[in-house]
Amino acid sequence: MSRLARREARTGYLLLAPSLLGVGLFLILPVFVVLSLSLQQWNLISPARWVGLDNFRSILSDPDVRNSVLVTSLFVLIVIPVQTVLGLAAALLLNRRLPGSNLFRVVYVIPWICAPLTLGVVWRWIFDPSDGALNALLGQRIEWLSSTTLALPAVAAVAVWSQVGYVTLFFLAGLNAIPAELYEAARMDGADGRRVFWHLTLPLLRPTTFFVLVTGVISSFQVFDTVYAMTRGGPAGRTDVIAARIYHEAFEAFRLGRAAALAVLLFVLLVVVTLAQQLYFRRRITYDLS
Amino acid sequence: MRHGRRLFVAATAALALAASGCAIGGDQSDRSDSGKTVVTFRLWDDQVAKAYEQSFAAFEKDNPTIDVQVDVIPWNDYWTKLTADVSSGNVSDIFWTNTSNFGIYADNGNLIDIDKELGDQKNAWKKSVVDLYTRDGKLWGVPQLWDSIALFYNKKLVKEAGVDPAALRWDPDVKNDTFLLAAKKLTLDFTGNSADQPRFKPVKIRQYGFNAALDSQAIVWDFVGSNGGTWQEGDEFAVNNPKTQQATQYVVDLINKHHVAPSAADTNENGDKSRDLFVQGKMAMFQSGPYNLKNIQENADFEWGLAPMLEGPAGRVGVVHGVAAVGSAKTKHLDETVKVLSWLGSAEGQRLIAEGGYAFPGVTAAEKGFVDYWSKQGVDLKPFQQAAEGTTFPAPVGPRVNAGATAMDPIMKEIFLGRTPVVKGLADAEKAGNDAIKE
Repeated sequence: MSRLARREARTGYLLLAPSLLGVGLFLILPVFVVLSLSLQQWNLISPARWVGLDNFRSILSDPDVRNSVLVTSLFVLIVIPVQTVLGLAAALLLNRRLPGSNLFRVVYVIPWICAPLTLGVVWRWIFDPSDGALNALLGQRIEWLSSTTLALPAVAAVAVWSQVGYVTLFFLAGLNAIPAELYEAARMDGADGRRVFWHLTLPLLRPTTFFVLVTGVISSFQVFDTVYAMTRGGPAGRTDVIAARIYHEAFEAFRLGRAAALAVLLFVLLVVVTLAQQLYFRRRITYDLS
Repeated sequence: MRHGRRLFVAATAALALAASGCAIGGDQSDRSDSGKTVVTFRLWDDQVAKAYEQSFAAFEKDNPTIDVQVDVIPWNDYWTKLTADVSSGNVSDIFWTNTSNFGIYADNGNLIDIDKELGDQKNAWKKSVVDLYTRDGKLWGVPQLWDSIALFYNKKLVKEAGVDPAALRWDPDVKNDTFLLAAKKLTLDFTGNSADQPRFKPVKIRQYGFNAALDSQAIVWDFVGSNGGTWQEGDEFAVNNPKTQQATQYVVDLINKHHVAPSAADTNENGDKSRDLFVQGKMAMFQSGPYNLKNIQENADFEWGLAPMLEGPAGRVGVVHGVAAVGSAKTKHLDETVKVLSWLGSAEGQRLIAEGGYAFPGVTAAEKGFVDYWSKQGVDLKPFQQAAEGTTFPAPVGPRVNAGATAMDPIMKEIFLGRTPVVKGLADAEKAGNDAIKE
């Protein structure tokens, strides 16, 4: 390596140092802390004790944990298709550049910019059984957040509402990257709008779709703030997502070891789900537009 | 593997979630600029904090080498942050605690032994609060304030319905019950029919009679106590017994069968719902503690009064709950900390809390100031004082009682929503609570 190259490398690392330090301190280190905590029993106050795989054994046989895995999966299954389809639809509409598109582009993203906890509190007011805006509008009393059937869909609806703008933004960018000549060529060959969408737009958006799905699934599996603000995991555990259970174990029950074991479980779940998504998309052709 | 890296980052973020709550604030300096010794004091109530600030100003005048710093942490984060800070050794020298939270610290040697350091001041303090903070024969906290339970009532509404709020008695045996009829008379549907009339429709209620709800301190434990039931034996939960079942059933029926109280769908997640209804004139009787005096005084634009808490088959047995200041055993300035604790346990130190109308002070000699403040506002606090002197019901204690209570909570909510039968629910709650207090 020449002296110049070495000096450049040094400058490069120097510039990287602040963010590397951040990643190391707040991402990499906590990962190892959590891994080691998952093998201990600790209540934050008394000294911690090594317990081997006991925490994993106890969470895997815990019906509440099974419930929270089920609830989280249901939540993801509701949120992901709805937000992806709605996001794509909104992007297609905005892409037509009708008057006012720019305004709506901003409006859609506002909920995504706001803090989920605040939104959760606002939505709890809207869903309030007696004084809530929604019931006032409907003219009847529906106990949204204490109903065992409606609570999860209600929370999922809020999650979709807050994330759809983010999905829309990515699809918009994806649509912009498709060269206009392709559309012209398709039209010249006599393809109607539906055929263009299914055979041109959708396949060319595949990388965007992949990205949106992977990040969406991950963030939905980790959902916490919205749930915490709206239902705290209730009623009767029907919205008790994994992250809410981790919080409960760590900071309400003060069983840090079990909480860490749960976090590891969530991690493994996410790796499996993401690998499955990747396999699915890899089997399909991605077009190089560059 | 273009997305491999992104996946790794996102997945590690999932793991980091568990650790992120542990973030801990920076170190506080031990010495202020002027070279004084800094003693830190943490509490959750920003109102009472104002009274403390003034009180410490007087203390610092007499003790020019000590600087007391008051730090308010809001209730919602208080216990999480406190546990994290005690764990990391960053806790303040003195902090407020309640009865359900001090046990774990006392048992783990985190607290200063008050008997040893300030035992001679003990007789000046409210005995019931001293008892609450005595664990294994030792006192761990300096009583700061206490609450008992009484019945707030809307003067106009009870007068119109012909109800005497001071003479109400509930009883699972209908023959001995005078309360239910009164509560029904005070509950009106949207056309104005009261709940004791056959035409009453419980769909749209415009005025409620009473605040039956999952409010442990002001409703549940008091009904259980007034029926001779138990909630805890030693550190274990003991809610699965006939008397407790009977009392809980009575309260749940007030909500779901008689409709004299708002639905649990309204009150389970919103602890202030009933107080808000009372303040808006939409609830006639509201059983609660002195912690709601200021809010009601400031917001209710009608005449209201205080009556003794409801009488049950076993008499009037209410919860007396106290807040104490405890000292951290790990403090670097034991002498100064003990001095501040001693001030916090003196009549002069608590005078402003009492005279400002904030709370019943833990020092009995300062109590008159609080009573006088409220009598000047036209409110007679005798019902609270009587409740504290009579038979009282112990709030749950133990090193892991909070973990137990949070495990019981979802089940209790289902009971109050009327979806889980009381007997089964209490059995489940007891089991869940006792499983949770084991580690």
